[in-house]
Amino acid sequence: MAETIYRTRGLSRVYATGAAAVRALDAVDLDVPAGEFVVLLGPSGSGKSTLLNILGGLDRATGGEAWFRDRSLTEMDEADLTRYRRDHVGFVFQFYNLVASLTARENVQLVTDIAADPMSPDEALGLVGLGPRVNHFPAELSGGEQQRVAIARAIAKRPEVLLCDEPTGALDSQTGVQVLDALAEVNARFATTCLVITHNAAIREMAHRVIRFQDGRVAEVEVNTTRRAASEIAW
Amino acid sequence: MVSALSRKLGRDLVRLWSQAAAIALVLACGVAILLMSLGMFQALETTREAYYDRQRFADVFARATRAPRALMPEIAALPGVVAAEARVAGLVTLDLAGRSRPGMGQVLSLPAAGGPPRLNVPILAAGRLPDPEARDEVLVNAAFAKANGLRPGDRLIANLNGRKRDLAITGTALSPEFVYTLGPGALMPDNAGYGILWLPDRAAAAAFDLQGAFNDVSLALAGGADANAVIDALDRLLAPYGGTGAHGRDQQLSDAFVTAEIQQLKAMAWILPPVFFGISAFLVHMVLGRIVALERPVIGLLKALGYSNLAVAGHYLMLAALTAAAGILLGWGVGTWLSRALAELYAQFFDFPYLVWRAQPGPYAVAGLLGLAAASGGALQAAIAAGRLPPAEAMRPPAPPRYGRTLSDRLLAGAGLGQPAMMVWRGILRWPLRSGLTLLGLALAVAVMVAANFLDDALDKLIDIAFTQAARQDAALILAQEAPAIAVEEVRALPGVLMAEGQTSQPAILRHGPRERRIGIEARPPGADLARTVDAEGRPVALPPRGLLLSSRLADRLEAGPGDVIEAEFLTGRREIHRLPVAGIVEQYFGLGAYMQADALAALRREAPRIGAVNVALDPAAEAEFDAALKDIPALAGTVMLTQVRRSFEDTIAQNVVIMNTIYITVAVLITFGVTYNGARIQLSERARDLASLRILGFTRGEVSGILVGESLVLAVAAQPVGWAIGASIAGALAHGSQSDLYAVPVVLKPATFAAASLLVLAAAAGSALVVRRRLDRLDLVSVLKTRE
Ligand SMILES: Nc1ncnc2c1ncn2[C@@H]1O[C@H](COP(=O)(O)OP(=O)(O)OP(=O)(O)O)[C@@H](O)[C@H]1O
Ligand SMILES: [Mg+2]
Repeated sequence: MAETIYRTRGLSRVYATGAAAVRALDAVDLDVPAGEFVVLLGPSGSGKSTLLNILGGLDRATGGEAWFRDRSLTEMDEADLTRYRRDHVGFVFQFYNLVASLTARENVQLVTDIAADPMSPDEALGLVGLGPRVNHFPAELSGGEQQRVAIARAIAKRPEVLLCDEPTGALDSQTGVQVLDALAEVNARFATTCLVITHNAAIREMAHRVIRFQDGRVAEVEVNTTRRAASEIAW
Repeated sequence: MVSALSRKLGRDLVRLWSQAAAIALVLACGVAILLMSLGMFQALETTREAYYDRQRFADVFARATRAPRALMPEIAALPGVVAAEARVAGLVTLDLAGRSRPGMGQVLSLPAAGGPPRLNVPILAAGRLPDPEARDEVLVNAAFAKANGLRPGDRLIANLNGRKRDLAITGTALSPEFVYTLGPGALMPDNAGYGILWLPDRAAAAAFDLQGAFNDVSLALAGGADANAVIDALDRLLAPYGGTGAHGRDQQLSDAFVTAEIQQLKAMAWILPPVFFGISAFLVHMVLGRIVALERPVIGLLKALGYSNLAVAGHYLMLAALTAAAGILLGWGVGTWLSRALAELYAQFFDFPYLVWRAQPGPYAVAGLLGLAAASGGALQAAIAAGRLPPAEAMRPPAPPRYGRTLSDRLLAGAGLGQPAMMVWRGILRWPLRSGLTLLGLALAVAVMVAANFLDDALDKLIDIAFTQAARQDAALILAQEAPAIAVEEVRALPGVLMAEGQTSQPAILRHGPRERRIGIEARPPGADLARTVDAEGRPVALPPRGLLLSSRLADRLEAGPGDVIEAEFLTGRREIHRLPVAGIVEQYFGLGAYMQADALAALRREAPRIGAVNVALDPAAEAEFDAALKDIPALAGTVMLTQVRRSFEDTIAQNVVIMNTIYITVAVLITFGVTYNGARIQLSERARDLASLRILGFTRGEVSGILVGESLVLAVAAQPVGWAIGASIAGALAHGSQSDLYAVPVVLKPATFAAASLLVLAAAAGSALVVRRRLDRLDLVSVLKTRE
């Protein structure tokens, strides 16, 4: 049995802004084994992004606890969280979030500049099939290519986890498949744990594990015995 | 290898170059002016100190009519005195080869023992000291020699107390007493017409009939000695011998001028650079605030990637720092150039043996650090905001601003404005702080222009009052000795003289309560028409039959006003103390003056009226005959040609005003451009979507850009009255800061000054708004709507 990379107990996040408080996460208990490809599904507003942000150290819980391996994320201070993100986590966002004034290579270099044991930017871009485009600016790349740059940037530091929030949300199905392939490849080759939020239920067929969200709670966890390759999935 | 973040920084700077340049230029102005005034201030002060120290410039000075040499040991023994030196001094007329007009010379004796004096030691620039035994050798000041093309070995003719003497120049020298060499009655140094002549003691004493006596004494004091006590003691010792009142360095003419200049530089350093630094800080604040708002997703990303809050804040701070660095470098360059130019200007007026402006690290560091502090201060809030932005929040688009229906909205709605006008007003009212600061920035541009033009008008008024209204004579003849008032008839009989009026100046100490001031009381015949006393509007004020008229600055010094009684201790004649009422206040921009009727003065002193100088009006056609006649009048110590004084003053002023105005106009345009251009660019970026939507809805380009340009222009117009008010107070501060006992500048603010300032600033504002409008015209509607913000 693989070691558990993320564990949450009673994890809650309440937004106090506005007239009424919003319970984005309502006492979530969750265990994520290391090395798995995990898909998070659920209706809009169910708390998926909130969970991912807390696990990635971008946001703080208002109640309960979360651990990364044996370290309590909920007890870390600002500086610890920054170190944690720098050393262990790779992010991929829906809106690629590339720095417009930096080339593909330089966008990856943003990470390799500060990571402890990174691969070279060119190697990371090669892994996602963008070797020939390293000197292009984001404006000169298609949406899929931009998202692959973002993945290269996320994996360049050889992270233990990849947190992806709707990585294919802004892409057509064919490009989406390329991106998912790249993620699956990283997961398979480096045993990097991947948490992928998606609205595309079909993607769940790629996953080791599917977590379904509803109203800030985990409604269902499903473990796949047979997985399919991204290219086999019908959108 | 260059880090990716540094690359981003570099590319951001390139992308924002026009906004960064506008900020850097404004900052450069502040750095340059601060560097110049601070550097020059320091150069003047250290040079002066070293010069005075090395040449043993005296601390206390006094003149008398004729004091015996035997008094010197007693003077030297006064407590606090470390050195005392007696001299023979006197004014002489000079007949210079190649000059039709007689020049004037100040004779000073060199010690009888030979060698240089012990105090006020001249530095030999060329040649040698005169032989102590020689009767026809003279050392002259270098500036006089240079202006007249004289060299050691050349000769000049001096009318020494009625006897014409042919003197050989043995050398030229500089003296700490004559850094600023101003002849009697002059306003600007005239090195060609006024010279310092050092004669051996024996020759000087013989010329002025002062064998075994002296009429000038200088004292050096021990550090910590009570100068006032020494001055009082010296006054008591010299009183029986016609002492006219000892004074310290503050009333030594040359030093007073250098001090006034230093003070003016200081005023400049404290008044103008803060304006520029304030505006730079505001611009950085505005621009960086906008950049950070636009880059929220990037900030979130950097944090997600593991960059620390400090690194992110530092990244944005660096953007401001690099902009500041460009401004500082430019400011250093311009400031160095300005300092050189100013040093050259000073070389024309001040005779220091070695005033070279050298690039000292201190002023560069201060100007640079303050510039950097201003930019960082402006950047701080935005940078901290970037550092503090929680990463999860940064990843989300910002919540749309809340447009509540506020009171101002209801007022606007009631005003029945169209939608575009509503958008302009909403934009202004929704960010009141930013609108207020923009308005303040533009107001400062107006203020700088007002302050610049004020000087022009002030000097016009000063020249009008000083010359057209008050000192209207063409020339003033200074008599070697006071003469009965009837002597004016002899002058009237000279060729070319149309009018002649006598006057006298009597040294006296005026006291009012605890305040006192040594001054020359000028006495003129009633109804004098050539030299008049005038009020602040230039209207002549008749001399009262009783009492004194005080110039306004003297009245301020004495804290006396009309009706107050002043105690006047005369330092000549019977040396009596009289109580005189202040009959009125008059305006006098040069020096401090006190005036009374000649008859009243004579009656007070129980003497027949006497005169020491004669003011004349000349027939321009007969000037040559007049000049020729002057060379043969033995009783004449010198002649002040006021026509020439006036001309050289006006020329110098005109030249300086042109330079100053060019600088100030450049500065005002830069400020306006910096503020308006950045303001409009920021609005364009904030409202591009709104504006593009309006275009898609069918609004024309003109209507849409009207909204953008409208906001800038509304603020520019509203800034005008504020700018006028600030400008008036800057003008007041500059006038006050440059005022001294030697001169004052009136505050003159004409409607035309305000109008010109407003026109320039509004034009610059409209110009920079139009530059931004061209960008708006090129705006790609589709791409604006597609971009996520
Ligand atoms: N900053 C915030 N302030 C207030 N409420 C918030 C904030 N961020 C999220 N929420 C609320 O928290 C709840 C969960 O949001 P979250 O973004 O986690 O949903 P999600 O599952 O990712 O939805 P989607 O699929 O639309 O991205 C929602 O109701 C949302 O409105
Ligand atoms: Mg989400």
